[in-house]
Amino acid sequence: MKIEVKKNVLQNNDLAAARNRSRLAGKRTAMLNLMAAPGAGKTSAIIKAIEGTRDSRALAVIEGDITSEVDSLAIEALGIPAIQINTGGSCHLTASMIGAALDHLDLDNLDLIIVENVGNLVCPAEFDLGESARVTISSVAEGHDKPLKYPLVFREVDAVVINKTDLMPYCDFDLAFFRDAVERLNPDAHVLRMSCRDGSGSEEWCRWLMNSVV
Amino acid sequence: MHEYAVTESILEIVKAEVRQAGGGRVSMITVVIGELTSFASESIEFYFETLARGTVAEGAWLEFRPLEAIASCGGCGGSFTPGPRHVLLVCPDCGSAAYDFVQGKEFYIESIEVSA
Ligand SMILES: Nc1nc2c(ncn2[C@@H]2O[C@H](COP(=O)(O)OP(=O)(O)OP(=O)(O)O)[C@@H](O)[C@H]2O)c(=O)[nH]1
Ligand SMILES: [Mg+2]
Ligand SMILES: [Zn+2]
Repeated sequence: MKIEVKKNVLQNNDLAAARNRSRLAGKRTAMLNLMAAPGAGKTSAIIKAIEGTRDSRALAVIEGDITSEVDSLAIEALGIPAIQINTGGSCHLTASMIGAALDHLDLDNLDLIIVENVGNLVCPAEFDLGESARVTISSVAEGHDKPLKYPLVFREVDAVVINKTDLMPYCDFDLAFFRDAVERLNPDAHVLRMSCRDGSGSEEWCRWLMNSVV
Repeated sequence: MHEYAVTESILEIVKAEVRQAGGGRVSMITVVIGELTSFASESIEFYFETLARGTVAEGAWLEFRPLEAIASCGGCGGSFTPGPRHVLLVCPDCGSAAYDFVQGKEFYIESIEVSA
């Protein structure tokens, strides 16, 4: 006997994501899903975002890591609420993990929640968290061919941040090549350049957040 | 790596469907995977063998049906098939890069074959 199923394998995640999305919409709280390779500068970019927007926006951060509290402690040190999720080996955050984290945040008094996904350029892009915006970060030392090799994440985001531009002189990063690849994969994506080290571009990053996300 | 969780999810859906249909043993599960997703069928097979042990789906054949990507062009309104080896491209008819994928991100269980 044949049973016709036609059910999405990720249906449980999609349902949980839809729940998160309507819950956040009800509270008028935006949520940004930040996805990038390990060490690209996710935490550093979040810290820049906090510094540049905290005067006018109420923020919180959800940190996803396989293990450790290093990143959430760094955020808490700035006086911003941070929830650490340890996935215990899993390479991405899921919508139900986010749902549980939201229970610990004061959503009535938050404008923006930034989610730092697990350092990984592949898996996070497959799992909707219920976010209202998505960003990926590529650091120049990773090379300009990353959009070609990991197209999914570049296709799904609202903005691409090129980080560590202070390292340009030491790398063979071809900015035009990178921009062209992103443009072709995702013509609507906003491309920003930034160095969390010397601070250049962080104003534009914060402006983009305040204009387009929250 | 995420195939472990994905395989659990497949099994969960299969078990619920079989229960609803009144029971039986599963001999085949047909799974559709769009070529724009990053799920590796070999890993799903690998985890399935272990996870399905002792369930109604133990030993079932996993049939993976790949679904090609189809893009719809914003320039001329036509549609085209990029093929898995070409992520960066333009519409073959009008040269526009403003295309959207209308197929290729699917990942669902199409059907289950059950014997009494
Ligand atoms: N030179 C330079 N170093 C940077 C820049 N941004 C971040 N770094 C450094 O790169 C390293 C990784 O930065 P993080 O912000 O921790 O990166 P991450 O993406 O959060 O890393 P994981 O959470 O481990 O995946 C740290 O040593 C940062 O100081 C930059 O713009 N220039
Ligand atoms: Mg980090
Ligand atoms: Zn066209």
